[in-house]
Amino acid sequence: MSDVALATPTIRSPSAEFWRRFRRKHVALLSGGVLLLLIVAAAAAPWIAPYGPTTPDYDSVLAGPSWQHLCGTDTFGRDIFSRILWGGRISLTVGFVSVALGGLAGVVLGLVSGFFGGLVDGFIMRLMDVLLAFPGILLAIGVVALLGPGIDNVIYAIAVFSVPVFARLVRGSTLALKQTLYVQAARSIGVRAPMLMLRHILPGTLPSVIVYCSLRVGTSILTAAALSFIGLGAPPPSPEWGTMLAEGRSYLGVADQITLFPGIAIFVTVLAFNLLGDGLRDALDQKLR
Amino acid sequence: MIDYLIRRLVGTIPVLLAVSLFVFLFVHLLPGDPARLVAGPDATPQDIAAVRADMGLDRPLVVQYLRYLGQTVQFQLGRSIKTHQTVAELIGERFMPTLLLTVFAMVWSVIGGVAVGVLSGVKRGRWQDQLAMVLAISGISFPGFWLGLLLIDLFSVRLGWLPTGGYESWQSFVLPAFTLGTGVAAVMARFTRSAFVEITAEDYVRTARAKGVPERLVVWKHTLRNALIPVITLTGLQFGFLLGGAIVVETVFAWPGLGRLLVDSVSYRDYPVIQAEILLFSFEFVLINLIVDLLYAVVNPEIRLR
Amino acid sequence: MLHSVRMLLVALLLAAPGAAYGAKDLVVGVPATLTGLDPADLNDNLSQSAARLMFEGLYNLDEHMKLQPQLAESYEATEDAKEFTFHLRKGITFHDGTPFNAQAVKFSFDRAGNPDNHLKRQSLYVMIDHTDVVDDYTVRMVLKYPFGAFVNDVAHPGALIMSPKSIQEYGKEVTRHPSGTGPYTFVSWSADTLKMKKNEHYWKQGQPKIDTITYRTVPENGARIAMLQAGEAQFIYPVPPELIASLQNSPTVTVFNEPSILGRYVYLNNMRKPFNDPRVRLALNYAIDKQAFIKVVFNGHADPIDSPAPQLLPFYEKQGFYAYDPAKAKALLAEAGYPNGFESTLTGGADTLVQRGMQFIQQQLAAVGIKINVEPLEAGVLTAKMFNVKGPEDATIVMLYGGWSSSTGDADWGLRPILYTKSFPPVLSNLAWYSNPVTDAAIEAGLATVDLTKRAAAYAKVQEQAWKDAPWIFLSVDHSLAAYSKKLHGAFMRPDQQFYLRTDASLD
Repeated sequence: MSDVALATPTIRSPSAEFWRRFRRKHVALLSGGVLLLLIVAAAAAPWIAPYGPTTPDYDSVLAGPSWQHLCGTDTFGRDIFSRILWGGRISLTVGFVSVALGGLAGVVLGLVSGFFGGLVDGFIMRLMDVLLAFPGILLAIGVVALLGPGIDNVIYAIAVFSVPVFARLVRGSTLALKQTLYVQAARSIGVRAPMLMLRHILPGTLPSVIVYCSLRVGTSILTAAALSFIGLGAPPPSPEWGTMLAEGRSYLGVADQITLFPGIAIFVTVLAFNLLGDGLRDALDQKLR
Repeated sequence: MIDYLIRRLVGTIPVLLAVSLFVFLFVHLLPGDPARLVAGPDATPQDIAAVRADMGLDRPLVVQYLRYLGQTVQFQLGRSIKTHQTVAELIGERFMPTLLLTVFAMVWSVIGGVAVGVLSGVKRGRWQDQLAMVLAISGISFPGFWLGLLLIDLFSVRLGWLPTGGYESWQSFVLPAFTLGTGVAAVMARFTRSAFVEITAEDYVRTARAKGVPERLVVWKHTLRNALIPVITLTGLQFGFLLGGAIVVETVFAWPGLGRLLVDSVSYRDYPVIQAEILLFSFEFVLINLIVDLLYAVVNPEIRLR
Repeated sequence: MLHSVRMLLVALLLAAPGAAYGAKDLVVGVPATLTGLDPADLNDNLSQSAARLMFEGLYNLDEHMKLQPQLAESYEATEDAKEFTFHLRKGITFHDGTPFNAQAVKFSFDRAGNPDNHLKRQSLYVMIDHTDVVDDYTVRMVLKYPFGAFVNDVAHPGALIMSPKSIQEYGKEVTRHPSGTGPYTFVSWSADTLKMKKNEHYWKQGQPKIDTITYRTVPENGARIAMLQAGEAQFIYPVPPELIASLQNSPTVTVFNEPSILGRYVYLNNMRKPFNDPRVRLALNYAIDKQAFIKVVFNGHADPIDSPAPQLLPFYEKQGFYAYDPAKAKALLAEAGYPNGFESTLTGGADTLVQRGMQFIQQQLAAVGIKINVEPLEAGVLTAKMFNVKGPEDATIVMLYGGWSSSTGDADWGLRPILYTKSFPPVLSNLAWYSNPVTDAAIEAGLATVDLTKRAAAYAKVQEQAWKDAPWIFLSVDHSLAAYSKKLHGAFMRPDQQFYLRTDASLD
């Protein structure tokens, strides 16, 4: 409580202020480090993975962890460690790209909705309500059924989940920002709508969007896993983590390594994204000092 | 107040209409012929034609939609293509299991989540806060089906303490409610903590402290009660989401709820059931939104219901 | 809020079923929900197996798929396979008290065969011209054309005999109010749970010996096995092959692991390049190591297939074996003009066992230079792709990972739907678009008579020709995999992968 009372009234630039506060979030910093490591490992998979991700070896199927196979092998004798490295590329891509796509659409819709208000707002928000009320899995089934199986379509399906949440978030801050003095001032000197939105309102919504992106990447990776569980995830032999987990789930109790390692990979990644997002939020939110 | 309620309820009609059209087009656009699926892999064309005629699927799409709309307005939801049961009956028997599971999951996760959130808020910045938050957030970082299968393996097979699932006795609620609630508990904890921290910074709390009101009283009387308001809102929303049926948890624990019914109906292209379920979810959602708005007004009379 | 929670708790505790100790209760854990209990309107193994416990047919297939008289004592057929006369068992009543007699049989058959009733099993009856009641306990069916496999049709679950009264009373709703003559009577069916109890007036003295049977739907493989291990179920199916080993050493559980009549094939589109060249089809057959396929995909719990027909199908004739020989496969491919292989798409379902099989095919064909894209599809999309076609021109599937199991248990239904020219989709499932006049003629000959030696000769010809033409990649025959408590006796998986409980089954 003491830092509340003694908060120094020095004025710093917002980014310096942010860094000052974020530096003290040790858990979030650690999470960021873990994520960086995961991203580098996934990017370097072709050079550091000891085996190919889909290379079978029928002579050593379902082997437990050993020096030869750090995480053991699966039904086809494929090296699970190598698959996790390669799969990281896919799972992280699914997370990032789907959030980027869904976030982009959501931000645009939210901006337009909040800025123009009236009928436009009513229409967009009702549409978002419908989308939100529509069970995500059903939407995903629809997308995959219409577009066919494949990792690209899984990404689109998951992106759709994110759109309404971002739209609501951005609409809220747009409504608040629209009333601020500087926006009113800009408007009064004749700055036009697109410019107003891009220059003056969008930047104000970004902090919460960034926080939400970080939280959402984790959710998207989990959604991909849930889709694999109902057979609509990345098609085999893809080493996407959720696919590996879903494919190996009936080996539980027989060959635990098949699910244990991809499960840990998902857990650690999602946890790291969530903790990072939490730290970012704390550091960005003025009220939570 | 009554006026407001009526206007809000009338206002949901266009949304529900839009949902009904959307879902109708959606299911009919999905590749896959329900007649073929229902008739089975070794059906002959006669069999399939019989099923199609029986389901009224041989008529033009517009006619089908208008008929569906007309019947829905009269609360005739039709019959399941797959089992011939009336949709109302089918959803009726699946609704209670989902509702009860949702209630159980919400009860433990709200209590647990709020407790952890308050602890974190009180001990903000200390190791207890960080540990509690990491633990809570772990809850939303598990792939649900994996967690469920691990729990069954541990508590049902190895230890033999709890049943593997099924909607049977109170014991069979424990594992699915726990699995379903972990995510909600995490969100609750996080949210409570933020609300708590935010309110501690408010003037009246600082005044109370300055006046020397004991810390325990500050926490309970001044902070917690106010922090709970947004938490209640969140509870309503989460409740709405869970009522839609948790597909993964219901599948893993063999729970006869709405989520599994939806997946089953989609894979059979059981149009009437899909349509009715989505309409029900939308309605629940709209209703909960309304209740949340009403709660706002109850809690804060400044907010006028217009 | 708190109050209502307490109410819910109380309601729940009251609703919890009190376990009746000492009663012999059998719980069967099954993978999917039932679709109904009207035998004439069912097409899934699961619901049919449930219907079998409450209904009986004139004839029945026992646990080895051998025809056994059930409600009939015997039958006679005319040489031209056009008239079948059944002599019925006397002194039997339906669960609702209606007496079982020739009128009831005629009523059941007439209803199921009437196209206006829109019942899913109507095609089983299309060959019947009319059914005559000869006397109270004799019934004669006159066919429009010869149909040698007719008694197998009569033994099909689609031809179980229903109480006429129940049909008149409930109409289409009879699917939720089943009334037959079987050893168990209907108690309730809601959502995931079907409950049946012992028929106290069953016509076999002293049977059944089990008091109640409950079907419970448990979709997840791991959870189903956990249920058996925890003693919550006494019979579960299917067991995924990779988990058989984990159950084999259990002191309380017996594993059921016997060959089925489900043949597993990759259907190759015989009308499309490159599969229109028989050398390519042969090459693919040589390129797959069937033993490794069985070991890797089925953990060894399957058999290699050595004829288009699985070994347990009647009139099966061993043909040979396309032994694994990648060099020969490459040579054949080169000879056909594909020295560097080609690229193709393998389509199939979305469940893990199917996906595992498709990946194996992909790996093996890669070794002979064929690049395969695996395309797993959700069930609705897959059937649309398979059957929303007018003819071979607009087929979009070139390779299909699939299988076939004869639901009547007869060779005709085991071969005709997948090898006959008139069975092209959307009519039936000749998904390879295979057409050979020799095969067609033999299939027709097999149906034209009840003479077993003539039928055997006809089906031998079908198998010989289809094996030579190799319209598919011949892979394996599935095993029926299930597991049950050592306390349970008399429960089986029939070779058609239907749960089969003998009427004298018992629980310790």
